[in-house]
Formats: sequence, C-alpha cells, structure tokens
Amino acid sequence: MIMRRAMRRFVLTVGATLLVLAAGGFLFAWSGLYNIAASRGHWAIVEWMLRFGMTNSVELHAVAIDPPDLHDRDLVTLGGNHYRGGCAYCHGAPGAKANPVSQAALPPPPDLSAVSDNWNDSQLFWIVKHGIKYTGMPAWVSQNRDSEVWAVVAFLKAMKTMSPDQYRALQPDPPPSAPAVEREAIASCGGCHGIPGERPRTGLVPVLDGQKRDYLIAALEDYANGARESGMMQPIASDLAPATIGALAAYYADRPPLEPADGISEADAEAGRALAIAGLPEAGIPACNTCHAGDALPSYPRLAGQSASYLAAQLRFLKAGARGSSGRSAIMTSIAQRLSEPQIDAAAAFYASSMPEQAAR
Amino acid sequence: MKGIRPYLVITCSIALAGCEGTQSALDPHGPAAARIAILTWFLLGLATAVLGLVIAATWLAIGGPDSVRGWLGRQRTVVAGGIVFPTVVLSGLLIYGLWLMRADASTSTPDLRIAVTGEQWWWRVTYHLGDGRAIESANEIRMPVGRTVALTLTSPDVIHSLWIPSLAGKVDLIPGRSTTLRLKADRAGIYRGACAEYCGGPHALMALHAVAMPAQDFASWFSAHGATLPALDDAQTRGGQLFLSAGCGGCHAIDGTEARGIIGPNLTDLGSRQTIGAGLLPVSRENVARFVARGQHLKPGNRMPQFDIFSDEQLSDLASYLLAPKQSEPHD
Repeated sequence: MIMRRAMRRFVLTVGATLLVLAAGGFLFAWSGLYNIAASRGHWAIVEWMLRFGMTNSVELHAVAIDPPDLHDRDLVTLGGNHYRGGCAYCHGAPGAKANPVSQAALPPPPDLSAVSDNWNDSQLFWIVKHGIKYTGMPAWVSQNRDSEVWAVVAFLKAMKTMSPDQYRALQPDPPPSAPAVEREAIASCGGCHGIPGERPRTGLVPVLDGQKRDYLIAALEDYANGARESGMMQPIASDLAPATIGALAAYYADRPPLEPADGISEADAEAGRALAIAGLPEAGIPACNTCHAGDALPSYPRLAGQSASYLAAQLRFLKAGARGSSGRSAIMTSIAQRLSEPQIDAAAAFYASSMPEQAAR
Repeated sequence: MKGIRPYLVITCSIALAGCEGTQSALDPHGPAAARIAILTWFLLGLATAVLGLVIAATWLAIGGPDSVRGWLGRQRTVVAGGIVFPTVVLSGLLIYGLWLMRADASTSTPDLRIAVTGEQWWWRVTYHLGDGRAIESANEIRMPVGRTVALTLTSPDVIHSLWIPSLAGKVDLIPGRSTTLRLKADRAGIYRGACAEYCGGPHALMALHAVAMPAQDFASWFSAHGATLPALDDAQTRGGQLFLSAGCGGCHAIDGTEARGIIGPNLTDLGSRQTIGAGLLPVSRENVARFVARGQHLKPGNRMPQFDIFSDEQLSDLASYLLAPKQSEPHD
C-alpha cells in the first residue's frame, strides 16, 4: 500500500515537472526572447551537441550502403561539372573560394577539399543524397538517380588532389567570337556533353550533336518541369528560358553527327544488331530501329553513335520505371521491361558502334 | 418463406436472363452446343430424380413405418441401392454421353480451317486458304453458316481455353501442342467466346467473336480480299504516315504497307471487326483513339504500351486510317 502511494507520488512529480518544462519552453519560444540570428552563432556546448548528433546520425544511416567503384574518370568529370554549378558557390573548390554570402550562414558550409578524410564513401553518398536538416544542405533533387550522387562522391574524393588548373579545365571556355547560341551551348552543356564537334567529356551523358530538335526540346522541357528526373539536368534545364531551349535544340540538331567512339568489340555490337533491326518477336521485343532510326517521329531520339554506357544506363532506368512520367517514357518502359540484362548491353553496344545518320529536323 | 418469395423471384429472373444471348450454353446455335445443352438438361433431370429418391429414402428411414425402415436396412437393399444402382446409372450415362458427343471427335475433312493462337491477351486468327497461303486477322472468326470449321488451337506461352458457349464446348490451347475445336453454326449471328482458363493479367478481357454469315455472304467477304478499295482521304493518309513514324509497325502489320510487325494483332481488317482490344470495346473511331492513348487504363496490364503522346487530331487521323477498308493480302 505504501509502495503504491510512493509510486503514484513519483509519477505525478515527474509528470508535473515535464509539464512545467514544456510550458516553459513554449513560453520562451512565444516570448521571442531567443535570438534566432545566424550572426550570433551557437554556444559551444550547443554547437558540440548538434555536431555530435549529426555525425552519429550520418554514420548510422550510411552503414548499409555499398559503394560502387568510384575511380572511373567519367564519374569524376560528371560529378565535377555538377559540383561546379551546384556546390562550389557554398563549399568552394580548388582555386576558388566559397562565396562570402554562403559563409555567413549558420552553420557556414564547410570547405570540402579534404572531406573524404572525414567521411567514407557511403557517408558522403548519404549526405549528398539526403541533405542535412537544420543546415543549408539540400537533398538531391531526384531520389531515384543514385548513380548521379555517386558521381559527386567520386569527384569529392578526386578533389583532394586536384589542382586549380585541373578544376578549371572541367569548364570549356567559349571562344568570344562564337555566335551567342554556341557560347550558350558551350557554357551550359559543354562541361559534360563536350564542345560542339567533340564527343562528350564523360561517357555517362548523351551526344547532342545531330540529335533531333524535337527530341532535345522534349527532353529539356521534361527536365524543366520534372517529368524526367535528374539532380543534374533538372537544375540546368529549369534555368533555361523556353527560347533558349528552342535555340539550343535547333543548334545541336543542325550540327553534323559525330563518329562513334572506339572500343566497342565487334562481337558485342553484332549481338545487338538483330535486336535493333528485327527485334525478338517471340519475346515481344519490336525492332529498336522502328522508332530510333529512319523517318520515325521527331520526338523519338536517334541512338546511333551514343556511348554504350549512356544507352545501357538509360535502358536500365526505363526498365526500373524510373526515367520519368512522360508519355514517351511510358512507351519505352514497357518495352525495356522485356529486355534481359545481356540484351540491354547488346543493344547499347550495337548503337554505340553505329555510324549515325544526319538527323532530319 | 413468404417474405423472401419476391426476392427469390427477382433473383432467379435476373440469373435466368444470363442464360440467353450471344454467350450462353443454354442458347445453342450449333450442333455441338445443342448436344451439350441436351446433355445438360438430361443430367439435370436425372440428378433431380436421384436426389428426390435419396431424400425420400432418408425421410422414410427416419420417420417411416417399421416395415419400410426394416426393408431399407436390409443388406440386399443397401447393395442394390448403394452399388448396383449407381453402377448401372453411371455406366448408362457414360455410354449415352459418349454416344451423344461422338460427332465432336470426328476427323472428317472440315470445310474451312482456321488457326487460332492464344496470345497474351488476344487471339491471333489465321485463315488457311487451302493453297498453302493464309490471311491474318485477330479476335474474330468469320465462318459460313452450316459448314464445319476446324479451329487449330495453339499457344506460344501459357495455357488458354477457347469457349464459344453458343457453338461448342471449350477446348484448351496448350503450349507445344495443337488441339482442334470444330464449330458449325446453324444460324447466322454473332456469338461471343471467352478465354475460359485463367492466363494472367487481363485474362477477363480476352474475348473472341464468331461471326456466322450465310454461305454466299461469307464467300463474297472472303474473296473481297482482292477487291479495289476507295483511296485514302487526307486524314487517313496523315494517320497512315503517323502509324509508321510512331513505330506502330514494329508490332502490328497492315498488309501492303511497311508495317510488318508480328508481335501484336494484324490490323488490316480492323475496320470490319466487331471489337477492339479482344472484345474490350465496340469498334469506333473514338474507341480506337481511346485504346491507343489510354490502353493501360482500359485494359490494365495488356502488352501494348500506352501511346499517350498524340494530339486529339493525330489520334483522330490515326483511328480514321486504322478503320479505313484495306486489303488483306495472302502470305505464305
């Protein structure tokens, strides 16, 4: 009986204390006495506590993430060009300081030149993909494009030993004498897709020279309105005015198509030839060329001369239903789902080794 | 009992209404279906009589006079009623059934041979012309009244079963085997058939229509495959170009054009068919346009990608082209 009374008294005391604390906290917030100013900083103990919690959270959440091989130059180039446009403003880069505006945030975005010493690959991936609450660090725009996030991680690791010159070389300089649209093309697209007349600087992105105008417009519009997901292309496309999209598309469509890249084995390409030309009716696979060569609709892309890694990656996105929500994606998704993994690689190899025709505009 | 009588009457009337129409085994329009209907009624009558006997025996065994109960309990009664009676009745039924259905197993030469392949989820129909050549169609069988048509049934992947209840019983389509279904219609008419074996996804939306035509009409329909047709108008021409450029020909064939796909149904004679989507919707310009643009909503899971990329005008052109009369060309 006495035990029960003591128990009851204890519970009541704890409850009342919590109630008073909660009311006090509410009153404090309500009063406006707390100074929310970024200029004031945190007390050292608050700062320590926040960092302690953040570090543990990242470490725990990244524990089951398995990193791919990140030494691929294509990944570093792709990630570096995104870093240039998306990250350097706040975090700085080799030879370029972070903008002082960003450094006045609380917490100030950290310098990342040696970030790979502090976090392992999986932890960097988790931070770039998900962002961090209560800091300015945003999540990756698309939660379905992990390969893009890995490209950024690959760059973050490579950045440690990157010279300012190497970093600056990521961005091609448009010749001042070039027409406006060509300067725009080089400045906005050239870092990854190559300067006009050259193959892309990373095999993970498509060749634009000689692609069909309507397809390029549709792709950029899909990125701009989110119908096609990409943490790299969505920010770029949504910054382009509709007139610029039209001008860039027309510019690239008019350019002569490029020679296919070397390095595709005859045998690989031969395996995809039948699929491209005749399909595999018993598996419900129509010939790729029905839509991707000749006089097909202007909004269907040409595939010849693209890199095998780009084509195979896109087919896998389509197969997973992750390429986007446009009507064209829906058509290709249902076909890609009938392709086996070897068939995807075979078709990609065939088109990667094929000489493109000049696109009809 | 009194209270539920109106409901019973209503329920039974609704249920019985399902017994007539284009897809009913109780409304036979061909000899095979008629035999099945006779057998059905005969079995129903016999089963009712036997059930009556069993109920009467049970009732007497519980509440009947002692003499009757004694008689029922005798070993001779049990042997006669429990062993001899079922053996005789079931053997008789077997013999009657075999005799009645003997014609279905006939192997006489049919007047027309049509190959029907069960695809996922539609019917590929190939008319064999007799000279080694054939004409392609889908989801519809045209047949002359009063003639025997043999359907050669196959399937490339999963088991289907073709059942046109007003004309015949059902026969399975089995991968790696060829089965035969003989049809004969006594009267001209359109008889609906269905896939009667669950085959995945939109199995429930896999119907076929058998169109029985008077023999002369059938002959002229069949030979009209060589007739001159009106030229395509502007909308149809635009639709035809769109059909090719949008890649439809990767899966569909239209005889006499570059569209030679064999994955999906041949669409040459679509305009003369009853339905699109294997019995899904009546053939009309609006419905063809709807199926192209919203096919996955109308028949979820079907193998045709939904082409939600066309303007209303393009859809209308495309549908006009698809419904325009075209010539089926025999192939080898």
